[in-house]
Amino acid sequence: MSAAPALAASTPAAGPRAGLFARRVAGRVAALLAVALAWEGLVLLLGIRPFYLPRLSSVLAAIAASPGAYAAGFLRTLAETLIGFVAGGAFGVAVAVAFLRLRALREMVFPLFVVSQTIPVIAFGALVVLWFGNTLIAKAVIAFYLTFFPVTVNALIGLESVDPRQIALMRSFGASPRQILLRLQLPSALPQTFVALRLAASLSLVGAIVGEWFGDTTGLGVLLLQAMYNENVVAIWAALLVSALLGTGFYSAVALLERRLVFWGAEQ
Amino acid sequence: MLRHQDDAPAPAPEPLIELKGVDKTFGPVKALSGLSARVGRGEFVTVVGPSGCGKSTLFNIVAGLEEPDPGGALRFEGRSCHAADLLGRVSFMPQRDLLLPWRTVIDNAILALEIEGRPRKEARAEALRMLPEFGLAGFEAQYPHQLSGGMRQRVALMRTFLFERDLMLLDEPFGALDALTRTLMQRWLLDVWQRHRRTILFITHDVDEAIFLGDRVLVMTARPGAVKLEQRIDLPRPRRPDLVTAPEFIRLKRTLLEAIEEESLKSFQIAEEKIR
Repeated sequence: MSAAPALAASTPAAGPRAGLFARRVAGRVAALLAVALAWEGLVLLLGIRPFYLPRLSSVLAAIAASPGAYAAGFLRTLAETLIGFVAGGAFGVAVAVAFLRLRALREMVFPLFVVSQTIPVIAFGALVVLWFGNTLIAKAVIAFYLTFFPVTVNALIGLESVDPRQIALMRSFGASPRQILLRLQLPSALPQTFVALRLAASLSLVGAIVGEWFGDTTGLGVLLLQAMYNENVVAIWAALLVSALLGTGFYSAVALLERRLVFWGAEQ
Repeated sequence: MLRHQDDAPAPAPEPLIELKGVDKTFGPVKALSGLSARVGRGEFVTVVGPSGCGKSTLFNIVAGLEEPDPGGALRFEGRSCHAADLLGRVSFMPQRDLLLPWRTVIDNAILALEIEGRPRKEARAEALRMLPEFGLAGFEAQYPHQLSGGMRQRVALMRTFLFERDLMLLDEPFGALDALTRTLMQRWLLDVWQRHRRTILFITHDVDEAIFLGDRVLVMTARPGAVKLEQRIDLPRPRRPDLVTAPEFIRLKRTLLEAIEEESLKSFQIAEEKIR
């Protein structure tokens, strides 16, 4: 061949990349430790009363005293969040595809979606609990309610921003609308969809916890509410800490999935 | 409108595709008006013309993406047809490479085969055998963003070649490349074309490129587009790079440039009149 292939970008070796990752993790752990030490130290140093801010060690001790309750709450809330998130994400993408195909449907239904999102989640939550009772599904429905709308909007933006020349090329190959959707439009919309999914990761947790406030026996929201009624500040902080752990973990998992699936970045 | 050069022999006996008196209007804009052209089997025809002359509209019709206005005739393989019948029967390469960033080189190359319903494994094996010919050996697992512009263009060309259709449409495939890569790619394309013997319709802005590659050059008029001049290129093949300085080449180039110049001036005047 006359034109010799010239490698444009060298593949980065595994070594430095792994090293970089280890350093980033180490950096984050160090930052967390610093915050923990500052928390503990400042409370002791400034003599802050436990009513305003308990020591970190006493919060951790509270969790250690009844690990079963916190673990059960964690798992229960995780299940509600996850079901609501997955259902909301799938529904959001499906509706975006339907809106893309059927303009009339979009013009009819989209305004209703917007109205539904202006109803405060608390008001809506009361209804959902009446409909579904104090079940896990009721909480998942509230998480779903907060999740699907941003996913619909962003997936639709992503689907619509596909280069028309790319669609023309697929059509010239004789591709059916289904093939164009699966091989071109959905993958193209992935980066934009994940922007919403990251947002939805936090929102679905909010939905689940708020849902639990309408009445239940397990869950992080229940732990929070009980602690509040009992004015047990340490327990409030304990529930808060576990919720933060759940929220951060869930968000990180979604972000990791995004890095795996959208490896090509916002190229082009 | 159609003016044959005196030295142009009769066109090939069996045209693969033929357009007769084709019009195309987009709202108030007339993009094509009475365009007639034919491409014989195995022929390499290049199309040049002033910018905005409807070259891309012509291509979109032949690719099946755009239906011409009723009245004109479109024939493929001797049978009259609608433009939409050509979808999936012509291998089309647009100006930009349009590679899918989430697919590797090999998976981009087999996209059209996959759409046809060929098993992925079989298609990959076929593409893998073709890689060296396209200067891509060893790059099958790379992603588009890891490649240079010339290589991306070759992946796109390979995708077009793998989609084995009698007629190939290339829309300024080398337009975005630097001059040196461009001449390399032209020679390489001629090489591949001679081995695979496909029929090629090739749009370009570059008169040198049109003469160097083509058996015939079609010069288009300013909008509304039609064929102004059909010039047979009787330069011997295989064509060597130094051909561009040969007297016959220069003579052909002068003829073509004159025709294009006339049309460019026309479109300029039209634009000026509109401003007034």
